[in-house]
Amino acid sequence: MTNCLTWQGRVASYVDAELPCPEMEAFRAHLATCPDCAATTLALMESKMAVRRAGNRYAAPPELRAKVLSLAKDEPAVARGAIGGDRARFRTIVPRYWTGWAIVTAALLLLAAGLFLAANRRQNAKAVAEFADLHVTALASANPVEVVSTDRHTVKPWFQGRIPFTFDLPDLQATPYTLVGGRVAYFHQEPGAHLIFGYQRHLISVFIFRDTPQVAMPASFFADNTSSFTLRTWTQQGLRYVILGDANAAAIANLMELLQRAR
Amino acid sequence: MKAETASYGEFERLAMPLFDSLYNFARWLAEDATEAEDLVQETFKKALHGFASFVPDSDFRAWMFRILRNTFLTSRTGLRARLTVELDPEDEETTPVTWETPESLALASATREALQAALDGLPVVYREAVLLCDVEEMKYQEIAQVLSVPVGTVMSRIARGRKLLRQMLAGERSVRSGSAWK
Repeated sequence: MTNCLTWQGRVASYVDAELPCPEMEAFRAHLATCPDCAATTLALMESKMAVRRAGNRYAAPPELRAKVLSLAKDEPAVARGAIGGDRARFRTIVPRYWTGWAIVTAALLLLAAGLFLAANRRQNAKAVAEFADLHVTALASANPVEVVSTDRHTVKPWFQGRIPFTFDLPDLQATPYTLVGGRVAYFHQEPGAHLIFGYQRHLISVFIFRDTPQVAMPASFFADNTSSFTLRTWTQQGLRYVILGDANAAAIANLMELLQRAR
Repeated sequence: MKAETASYGEFERLAMPLFDSLYNFARWLAEDATEAEDLVQETFKKALHGFASFVPDSDFRAWMFRILRNTFLTSRTGLRARLTVELDPEDEETTPVTWETPESLALASATREALQAALDGLPVVYREAVLLCDVEEMKYQEIAQVLSVPVGTVMSRIARGRKLLRQMLAGERSVRSGSAWK
C-alpha cells in the first residue's frame, strides 16, 4: 500500500493531470481518507488556478495581429513537399486571375470571422476549465459549502451582503435534486454564488454571477468532454448561470429548467 | 498556386489560434512590450519559413513555442539572461519538491497583482516552466519539447518555481537578486 509520504510527492503530478489513470484513481481514493493530502492537493489546485489567472496578463495589440497577418503578403513561403513545390510569394493566397475586390473582401471577412471564432473558442475553453477547477476544488475541500442547508429560504438570504445581486432558487420538493448548500466564489475577481446540489450520488455546482464582460461565455450549451464534465450556461435577468457536474446531461438539463423557472 | 494556397492556409489555421498565447508568453519572457512584439513577429516569420520542416501530426503548439523561446534566447534580453545563468543544483533534481500547505495558502490567497509581481520576480528559467504548465496547461512532455530539456528537469523547474513563488508571497525572501536567468 502506498503511504502518505509517497502520495505527497505526487500531488503536483496529480494536480497537473500527469499521473497514469490507475494512479489517478488510487490517489483519489487516498484523498477521500486522508485530510492532510486532501488539504495539500486543494492548496495546490487553488494555487494553480491563481497562477493561471495572474498569468493571463497581456493582450496582444490589434496592430500586431494585423502585422502578423500581413507577413503572408511579404514573406516567401515554402510549400509542403507532398502538395507543394518551389518557394512562392504568399500573396498568391488569392489567385491573381481572381483579384476582384469582392473576392478579396470576402476572403478577409471569412478570415476575420475565423480568427474571431478561434479566439472565442479558446476563451470559452479557458472559462470552462476555470469553472471546472472551482467545482473540483470546492468538492475537494473539507468544507465544500459555507452555508449548509437544504432550505432555499436559508441559503438565499445567506448571500445577502456577500454578493452584489440576488437570485431565485427553485422548490426542489418532488424532484430528485437536493440543495446541499452554498459558498461565495470568485471568477475573474467578480464575486458570485456557488451553489451545490445533490443528484443521486453526484454533486452538481451551479455558479451565478453578474453577466459582465469578465464572465463572457456563449449563451448556448456546450460540454467539456476533455474533463468529463457536462456544462450548461445561460443568462437570465442580467445574471450568468453556469451548471457543471459529472451527472448525466439529462440531469444537468433538468436542473437547468428548474432554475430557469424558479420564482 | 493551389498548393501554395493550401500550405499557407494550413499554417494560418494552425498558427493564428496560438497568437494570443504566444504574445502573452513573449511579454512574460521579454518584460517589454516592444520586444515582445518583435519576438512574436520574428516567431511567425521563422515558422512560415520553416513550415515545410514541420512534421505533420506532431505537436504544432510546442513547435511554435519552441521557436519563440529560441528567438528570445538569441535576443539581447535573452542573451543577457543566459550569460548570467548559474546552474541551480535543484535544476537537475527530478524529485518534485513537496508542497507546504501554510506557504501555499499565501499563494492561493494572493491578489492577482501580488502574484503577477511575484511571477515578474521569478527567474526566467522557472517562470517559463510555471507559465507553460499553469497558464498554457501544457503537459510535461510538451514543455520538455519547448524547453529542450528532459521531462524530469521540467518537473523540478516547475516545482522549484512554485516553491519560490510561495516563498516570495509568504515574504520569506526575495529572489529578485537570484541568479538563474535573471
